[in-house]
Order: sequence, then C-alpha cells, then structure tokens
Amino acid sequence: MSSLLLTVRESMRYRGRSGHYSWVAHRISGLAILFFLVMHVWDTANAHFYPPLYAWSLELFKFPLFALGEIGLMAAVLYHAFNGIRITLLDFKPEWWKHQAKSATISWGLFFLIFTPIGLYMVIELISRCNELAAEGATCWTIPSLASYLR
Amino acid sequence: MTTVVGTAKHKVTIRQVRIQANRERYAYLFMRMSGVALLILAVGHMLIQHVLNSSGNLTLLFVADQWNSWGWKAYDMLLLVFAVVHGLNGLRNVLEDYIHNPATTLWINRFLIVFAILTIIWAGIGIASFDSEAARAAQEALNQSLGQ
Repeated sequence: MSSLLLTVRESMRYRGRSGHYSWVAHRISGLAILFFLVMHVWDTANAHFYPPLYAWSLELFKFPLFALGEIGLMAAVLYHAFNGIRITLLDFKPEWWKHQAKSATISWGLFFLIFTPIGLYMVIELISRCNELAAEGATCWTIPSLASYLR
Repeated sequence: MTTVVGTAKHKVTIRQVRIQANRERYAYLFMRMSGVALLILAVGHMLIQHVLNSSGNLTLLFVADQWNSWGWKAYDMLLLVFAVVHGLNGLRNVLEDYIHNPATTLWINRFLIVFAILTIIWAGIGIASFDSEAARAAQEALNQSLGQ
C-alpha cells in the first residue's frame, strides 16, 4: 500500500520541462472517461435488454451530483481529445519536438477556450432545471425509487 | 518511422529507423488512429447528447426516436467499438507502468481482452436489436405503473 502511495505521489510530482502536467491530466482524464464509459455502455444496453431499469437510471442520472459529474466528463473528454491530438501530431512529426512546451500550453488554452462556455452552459441548464422543478413544488434532489420502476 | 537522434539547441537531427512490426506497434498505432476517430465520434457524441440535447430531459422516448434510424445505430456502434478498445488498451498501458510481474500482466491482459469482447458483443446486440416500438410500449407501461 505504501508503495502505491509512493507511486501516486511521485507520479504527481512535477518534474518540469516535459509537459508533465499534461501527462498526469491525460492519464487521469482517460481513466475517468473509461470508468464512466463502462458504466454507460452496460447501462445503455438495458434500453434493449431491460427498459424499465434503463428508464430508472435515466432518472437517477438527473440527480445534481451526476449532472456535475457529467460536466466533469465533458471536461475530461475535451482535454483528453485535444492533448491526444497533440501527442499524435508530435509522435509523427519529430521535427516539431522543439515546440513541445508551447504545444502543451496550446492544448490547455484550447481546452479552456472551448470548455469554459460549454461548462457554464451546462451549469446554467442544471440550475434552471432545478428552478423549474422547484416552481412546480418538486425538487431536483430526489432519487427515483428503483422498486417503483421495476414493478 | 522517424526518430530524433540529436537535439542540440534549436537543431533536431532526424534519422529513418526500421521498427519491428509487432503487436505493441499495432496497439500503439491503433491508439493514435482511434484517437483521431474518437475526436469526431466521442466529442461529437458529447456535444450532441449533452449540449444540443440535455440529459436533464432524456427519456426512453428520446432513445426510441434516435435509435429508430440505422444511421444513429451505426454511429453508436462505431463509437462503442473504438471507445471500448481505446479505453481498455489505455488502462492496460497505465497498469503496465505500475505492475511489473509478467504473470500478473498476462492475466490482466487476458481479463481486459475478454471484458472488451463481452462489452462490445453485449452492447452491440443491445444497439442492433433495439426496437423503438418495444421501447415506446415499455415507457407507456411505466407511465401507467408510475401513475403519470
């Protein structure tokens, strides 16, 4: 266990000059996307195999904490995509390696430029949905009962 | 394949080298190629499903409408195959950085391959045989039992 902690701590320590933060962010975003992807794929398959269970999970994912996770997923996918393209370009164009540091900054810049409006939009969507429900006397903070869907 | 052999300041020397065409090489190339495909497929999927549409009002009926077309079914099938293989191979790459026991690595790889195949087959059957009419009927039955 201590060796795992050591690995994690040493992996996170910035060593500089080689886009180390990009590497860490690429890895974490990739693992986060994979974690969601596996759940999402097996869950979505229920649209065919067990529609009531799928309908329940759709309601569950409207819970605000999942909605925040969805915004995090958007961030992870966008960063992973832009940084992945950077890695691919540099892998096939060694003559661009002298621009390595600049390219890492560009992919972060592109990420913030595109994610900021999208993330804000998603936050506003979430808040306005909760407000609409509140106006109807309901709340977005309800967890749908599985039993009532599978009845 | 090209490689950099000297990096004197502001000068990069490039030499052609022959790379062995083994399984790792194809896995490496697959990650790049599927990555480019996923830039369109996965980012497109995120923008279409989470920005243009919202999961805040996603229902079985929405899925029934979308998967009524073979175009969307094909899109999601491609996304499924590329994303699952890219993701699980990425996990394999990450694990290989931290786990050095060859026997453990072998079993992890076998597990990941079986898991990828099962996931693709199960979800692929789900997408291919999804029936919009059956989904609408299921929603109808749910509305009755939920009293809406």
